[in-house]
Amino acid sequence: MPSTELESARFTSIDWATESGGWRSVRLRTAGLVAALLVVAALFTYDYVVAPRELFEFLDWDVTRIDWLFLVSTVLFVRYAVVPLAANRDRAASYAAEFARRPAGVLSLGYILAFGVLGVVGPEWFGLARVDFGTKLQPPVFATFDAADVWPYTCVGNSVGDVCHGTWQYPLGTTRVGEDMVKLIVYAIRIGLQLALSAAMIMVVVATAVGTAAGYFGGWVDDVLMRYVDVQQTIPAVVVYIVLATMYLGQGLFALALIFGLLDWGGIARLVRSEAMQRRTDGFVRAARSAGASDFHVVRKHVIPNSTATIVTALTRQIPLLILAQVALAYLKLNNVAYRSLGEVLLRGLSGNPVPWHQKWWIAGFITLFLVLTVVSFNVFGDVVRDVLDPQSEVA
Amino acid sequence: MTDESEADAILSVRNLEKHYPVRSGLLRRVTGHVKAVDGVSFDVHEGETVGLVGESGCGKSTTATSLLRLEEPTGGEVYFEGEDITEYGSDDEQAFRRRAQMVFQDPNSAFDPRMTVGESVAEPLGIHGLRDGDRQRRIVEDLLERVGLSADDADQYPHEFSGGQKQRIALARALILNPDLLVADEPVSALDVSVQAEILSLLDDLQSELGLSMLLISHDLGVVRQVCDRVGVMYLGELVEMAPTEELFANPQHPYTEALLASIPDPDPRNRGDAVELTGDVPDPSDPPSGCSFHPRCPRVVPPADYDFPEDSFREVLDFRLSVENGDVDGDEFASPADVRDEFDLPPELPDGDADAVISAAIEDVLAGDTGAAADRLGDAFETVCEREAPELVETDAGHPAACHLHGAASEHAPPELSASDDD
Repeated sequence: MPSTELESARFTSIDWATESGGWRSVRLRTAGLVAALLVVAALFTYDYVVAPRELFEFLDWDVTRIDWLFLVSTVLFVRYAVVPLAANRDRAASYAAEFARRPAGVLSLGYILAFGVLGVVGPEWFGLARVDFGTKLQPPVFATFDAADVWPYTCVGNSVGDVCHGTWQYPLGTTRVGEDMVKLIVYAIRIGLQLALSAAMIMVVVATAVGTAAGYFGGWVDDVLMRYVDVQQTIPAVVVYIVLATMYLGQGLFALALIFGLLDWGGIARLVRSEAMQRRTDGFVRAARSAGASDFHVVRKHVIPNSTATIVTALTRQIPLLILAQVALAYLKLNNVAYRSLGEVLLRGLSGNPVPWHQKWWIAGFITLFLVLTVVSFNVFGDVVRDVLDPQSEVA
Repeated sequence: MTDESEADAILSVRNLEKHYPVRSGLLRRVTGHVKAVDGVSFDVHEGETVGLVGESGCGKSTTATSLLRLEEPTGGEVYFEGEDITEYGSDDEQAFRRRAQMVFQDPNSAFDPRMTVGESVAEPLGIHGLRDGDRQRRIVEDLLERVGLSADDADQYPHEFSGGQKQRIALARALILNPDLLVADEPVSALDVSVQAEILSLLDDLQSELGLSMLLISHDLGVVRQVCDRVGVMYLGELVEMAPTEELFANPQHPYTEALLASIPDPDPRNRGDAVELTGDVPDPSDPPSGCSFHPRCPRVVPPADYDFPEDSFREVLDFRLSVENGDVDGDEFASPADVRDEFDLPPELPDGDADAVISAAIEDVLAGDTGAAADRLGDAFETVCEREAPELVETDAGHPAACHLHGAASEHAPPELSASDDD
């Protein structure tokens, strides 16, 4: 054991030959990440080889491609977002305090947390909307519907003549085939969450790798990667999706998440690159280099952590776009999800059958309201996160 | 490796060069080089503090980063305890990094805003394989106390500290690997004057306590005078003079050093007015002047032997000549020869009749609009040794080396006698 006598005139001297690091220096969170990914891989193998129909019989859950993608994304999200925040309480608390000072931040954070929770447990909790012609076109609570042109029609609440009043049983009303709007929107949240998290994780990994490599190493690496990004950005992901999904991948959420995830990260990579270029010349990077740090160490410990604000902010711009794209594609019947997408509901809600769309305004109305709230929340959240996480403000 | 002065030197720099290629055009061809460091040699002995001074852009910092191989030098050798570090492989280099550390200028960007000060200071330990958190913590706390902070500060973030405190922390980080050599690049220039003194005395204390060898880079001669044992003066990538600190201040042997010393504000009002002033701009390092790179600005530039110039009067003539050659003189702007002489501080008549005849003829040419002829005439007549030959760094009569034609083999170039200048 080398001397650790602190009172000596020299500083603590260390026998570097004995300090090899070794396996003990592998951190718990890294081990946890590997273990979790191995579990997912094992389950996948089991599902693929032994039980192709149903993996979890007690849940009656046939795990699909998007579910696997979502599982892996969730593992990565927990490792790189939840664990660091939980491990560094002081920092998390200071972020929370910063958020609390901004009412818009609190509201948007609340909405996004609710979005996340409902996305995970909502459809099981509320159940799926069922087709039931006996409850078709119920108006929302406190609203009325003149059913004179619709026959047959049953009003669940009180009716005065032909005018039907809404009830708390269907607070947001029902569609023309009697599906509960609340359950439809809850299911839409599930779709949005799966799509957002899966595509976002792909984007973050690719954009961070490309942007950091280009910005940190510069030179021909930068030239090659950024010219590729230029080319990629001229090809809209939605076109590639329509071609590939129609011909090969199937028009499901998996194809959408994969193609948008792999093709829509150019903008994020550009931002990360400029961030990395700035960090490269910062004093702490030069100090680490003069202490003998490798490129890998510098990138992992300094460049990427200091790009988080940029990455998170850029993601909060991408996620609502993804959700909107999915709804739009479903509206055009170019994307099918396992159950109901808001796009399809919207399409039927806007049709003139059996009454013009403004008489059943709550269908298109609540869908629009949900989408607007989601987009605005993510954007506001992104702005606030930028302010809260911005390392520049801490440097100053 | 046989140089006798390397024997007791911890660091020997020999002919260090760092040239940056200048690329231009569509194919990015190399069209020239910026000679940031061009053949610098010096030694740092054990326990000694050596200073490097010079204007900004003279290559001081590049010298520091390339002698530590933070940037790969393009030429020359650097011996650390007798071993050439430019030949090191990655394992040896890693060991060298533990023994030679660097402190940077700006303490405000020196710390990762996402790390606590403790994490930042401990970072070099982790890089070299000591990852035990408790041991790291003990070492960090000990060090923070030694640099004048408290152990609890390890949990704070960098933005909670002042500039001076951050520079103390930066020192702690540089010292945590227990290095033998510390390279400090402008360690105090970003700090308030009162804080500068504190940091410098801390550096001094730590150095004597730990037996550190130190290379201090600064543009501030006051700082250098306070802490350095020996000082090297750099101009445009070259070392022009190297001397023990007190000797350099008392008896500068290079006109550039003189000018630097004269730029230190003198609080004595009776001493005003005799400062050596530099004329002209700092040359572009991608296109340095021929010969001695200081000759376009040198107040003591050596006049040609064919003419007789009184002390220092050749400077104005050379300035006039360089302006004409650069095409900065437009004959239409002047009404008479006297105007031209006024503009360039030339006397109405030079003591040497031959020289004055050349000047008068050149002025006529300029007024006639023929600047090319004027340039040829002046160039032929007033060519100085300073632009023909680059002076070597040679031992001077004062006992320390300087690179100037006024000394050594070039002393036949005669007056003005520089070594007498410290009396005036």
